[in-house]
Amino acid sequence: MFSRILALFRRRALDRDLDEELRSHLEMAAEENRKRGMSHEEARRRAMRDFGGVTQVRETVRMREGVPFVENLRRDVAYALRQMGRAPGFAAVVIITLALGIGANTTVFSIVDAVMLRPLPYAQPQRLVEAQSSGMGSFSAEDVSYPDFFDWRRQNRSFERLVSYHDASFTLTGVERAVHLNGQVVSWDLLPLLGVSPELGRGFRPEEEKRGSRVVLISHALWVSQFGSDASVVGRTIHLSGDAYTIAGVMPASFRFPVVEPKTSFWTTLAMDDDANDHHPAVGNRGMHFLNVIGRLKPGVTVARADADMKAMAAALAKQYPDSNTGHDSAEVQSELTALLGDTRMLLMVVLGAVALVLLIACGNVANLLLARAREREREMAMRSALGANRGRIVRQLLVESVTLGIAGGVAGCALAFLVTPAVLRLIGESVPRAADAGVNLPVLAFALLVSLVSGVLFGLVPAVTAAKADLLSTLKEGGRGDIGGHHRLGSLVIVGQVALGIVLTAVAGLLMTSFVKLTHKDEGFNPNQVLMFNFETPDSRYMKTRPAFYREYFERLRALPGVQSAAGSMLPPMTDNAAELSFENPEHPVPEGQQSNATVDAISPEYFHTMQIPLLMGRDFNDGDDLKSTQVMIVNQAFAEKYFHGENPLGKKLKPGAGNGTPGGPPWREIVGVVGNIRASATQREMQPMQYLPASQLALWCCMRTVMRTTVDPMSLEPQVRNLVSSMDRDIPVTDVSTMRDLMGLELAQPRFAMILLGAFAGLALVLTVVGLYGVMAYSVARRTREIGVRLALGAQRGTVLKMVLRDAAVLVGVGMAIGIAATLASASVLQSMLYGTASRNPLVLGGVCGVVAFAGLVAAYVPAMRAAGIDPMRALRAE
Amino acid sequence: MGEDKSDVLQGTLDLMVLKTLETMGPQHGYGIARRIEQISEQALRLNQGTIYPALLRLRQRGWIRADWGTSENGRRARYYSLTKTGKAQIEKETESWERVAATMARFLTVQ
Repeated sequence: MFSRILALFRRRALDRDLDEELRSHLEMAAEENRKRGMSHEEARRRAMRDFGGVTQVRETVRMREGVPFVENLRRDVAYALRQMGRAPGFAAVVIITLALGIGANTTVFSIVDAVMLRPLPYAQPQRLVEAQSSGMGSFSAEDVSYPDFFDWRRQNRSFERLVSYHDASFTLTGVERAVHLNGQVVSWDLLPLLGVSPELGRGFRPEEEKRGSRVVLISHALWVSQFGSDASVVGRTIHLSGDAYTIAGVMPASFRFPVVEPKTSFWTTLAMDDDANDHHPAVGNRGMHFLNVIGRLKPGVTVARADADMKAMAAALAKQYPDSNTGHDSAEVQSELTALLGDTRMLLMVVLGAVALVLLIACGNVANLLLARAREREREMAMRSALGANRGRIVRQLLVESVTLGIAGGVAGCALAFLVTPAVLRLIGESVPRAADAGVNLPVLAFALLVSLVSGVLFGLVPAVTAAKADLLSTLKEGGRGDIGGHHRLGSLVIVGQVALGIVLTAVAGLLMTSFVKLTHKDEGFNPNQVLMFNFETPDSRYMKTRPAFYREYFERLRALPGVQSAAGSMLPPMTDNAAELSFENPEHPVPEGQQSNATVDAISPEYFHTMQIPLLMGRDFNDGDDLKSTQVMIVNQAFAEKYFHGENPLGKKLKPGAGNGTPGGPPWREIVGVVGNIRASATQREMQPMQYLPASQLALWCCMRTVMRTTVDPMSLEPQVRNLVSSMDRDIPVTDVSTMRDLMGLELAQPRFAMILLGAFAGLALVLTVVGLYGVMAYSVARRTREIGVRLALGAQRGTVLKMVLRDAAVLVGVGMAIGIAATLASASVLQSMLYGTASRNPLVLGGVCGVVAFAGLVAAYVPAMRAAGIDPMRALRAE
Repeated sequence: MGEDKSDVLQGTLDLMVLKTLETMGPQHGYGIARRIEQISEQALRLNQGTIYPALLRLRQRGWIRADWGTSENGRRARYYSLTKTGKAQIEKETESWERVAATMARFLTVQ
């Protein structure tokens, strides 16, 4: 082989050799002719004649002298293209089928590539990990407290650097119009950890973690929008929520941290959490778990080793500080990308699997088309093998044809992906991290090419091998009409496989649809219609004392606006992806500190239940009389009452939730004054959680309640009035996050919705392809059996019998495929469990429905050919032979 | 496609070339062509040129070898000779050819 490749380069030398050899042959022949007494001229002519075509021989030898593989491939491709040109309808059907399959795969892969495969935009991202706290107990305890973080940072042996971060939001004042900004509070060495530098200025210094330090790094976008891209901005003082901060630097436009929060406008150091005015600053409070931690592994340290290291440290800390750390006695280290993706990985794998099945079905259709065509071309193939083409050559020729088709389909598929991707991205929205970066790029195109090649071989192999096995003699003898059962059996097998795959896909789509319907039609526990929500801050620097008065006046004026039915405040309203849990002491079940029960908490204003239309089941709502001087009170929901009071009347009972009201002596005992109905805190929450409600007016730190407002008009139409009202009370407070409750719920449902729509589309595509495939196979089988059916009819068979016979053939195929599909679905559906709500993964109703749909589709596909079979005119059918 | 009539005779021609080289030793293309013509007593009207694709094919299979040499009358010519595998191949090819021939013969007598 090597010498043949060399031959390509030594072509000239070889040509010379060949020419010389042929010349010497002709001269020898001429000389012998002359010896036999011919004239000079005659001898030459005779030699040429005996030789045959010199040019032809030279070309033949030259062709074979090169790499025969390359030469043959070129010829095979040219031949394949001619074949496609000769049957444009066939080629078009194949290419469209493949374009659908490959296009869908390419689109999904471009998203998978952007979300899962592309490395994080930092230096050596494979060494970045996320460290989380974890522990026993019923609540998730992923977040870390500052003292724990400081201990981790000091004691660990696995990390080069360990950095804490949490989100914070501030109001930027002193600019043209106050703006609300989202930022991150981080350890000083975030940038060295990520391996990123600012585009202007410098990063943080270690001493800037110290109390009183106030520095920020601002995002490129903020620099452009608020500071006019002024390079002298470094060193300038800006005001964030009333405090003065010095700008240390500007980050590059490409910088994103955290990756999932592209709208982060600034980063400041954890000195912000060390407030001199606060008796219990967050940096010294081991019980306040609210930090995320990212780390860079030392070279050579594995995630598993770091995980073991952290677990040991967390266990030691829990022993050392049982009061605060009993529920945080372990830790978990995951690669940063894994932590980032969470459940999304599963979702994407399911979508990718589904779309691969669609491609398999498409390949099945093409394989059947090629099988049918291979039969029509049997004579051609038999001729070629009679003329000396060996079987390997024929198989290769057919494979080249199918791969050529595959690549043509792939090109069309890429074009389709290019068109469809933006629409799919819109559908996904922000529900999948990093999906917005998806696009058709080089790796994606490489993937599409690979898929095209693989599918070309996949659907081409079966017909090619069959063709090579074709019985030469019988084919030629029967004029290409010999019946070769193998073809038919293969085609049937393909159909059975397609039906089985179709069942699996449709069942998955059916389950996701059922789940989504359940999600959207379930009772949230409150009325989400006609509700507007928005947010603004009342910074401590100015509102520490006057906050209650401010809110009282604010709510009075808000409720007076035309179109407003009622309004209230809530720190952690549902559908905002914000939730907090608070431990509480129960005198009837005393437990050691650190092992108390936790329940979701919300701090609210009076009228919240009325505004949300959450039913008050017992007792009373909070009112303006509940202040620091009166009895300290709380309200619980039904789930809470059931779980902790087991059917007893909870009214009048006292609990001590771990939230202080600012008075000395720590958190007070609170009397339960009311029981309300359960609500779902998020649209995808599976079970109703126990909840405790505390009156904001009896809490020390209750800075920022979101406003919840029930309107009699279109909620969004009140936005200008709301903004005017707030800015008339304080022009430095911007209103943010204005949206309706319905929209917020829609956002929470975005992931299940997009999973359902994509899978639904794939299942639909799969069904259509299967029906077309079944139709094709049945129609072809009827066409081939025209003579047989004609004979049957001529011998007196009823048309109804013929109809039934064809339908029965189809029913057998569909039935077998269905049985396999049901078995496969039952075996694999549990994978879906984490994506389903309100339905089991083995839902007999869904499976039954799916079978019904597929059976009906199969019947429709078989009916037309069956009617055609029954309508055959026996005379014509027999005469045609 | 593009296979000419020599392809039909592929196996036959190959065996003829091999057998020629076996009996005559190293030989150039013209010599081989003439020998085949003589042995078949003109019954096989074969263009001499068709020998060259066959020679290349046998060379690519490693059954024969080609070396430049000088002919009896001082002309530069390419000489072909059997390789070890080529010698072994003759036996196999002969056997299979005889089987085909015997089958054909039986067929023809039955008719």
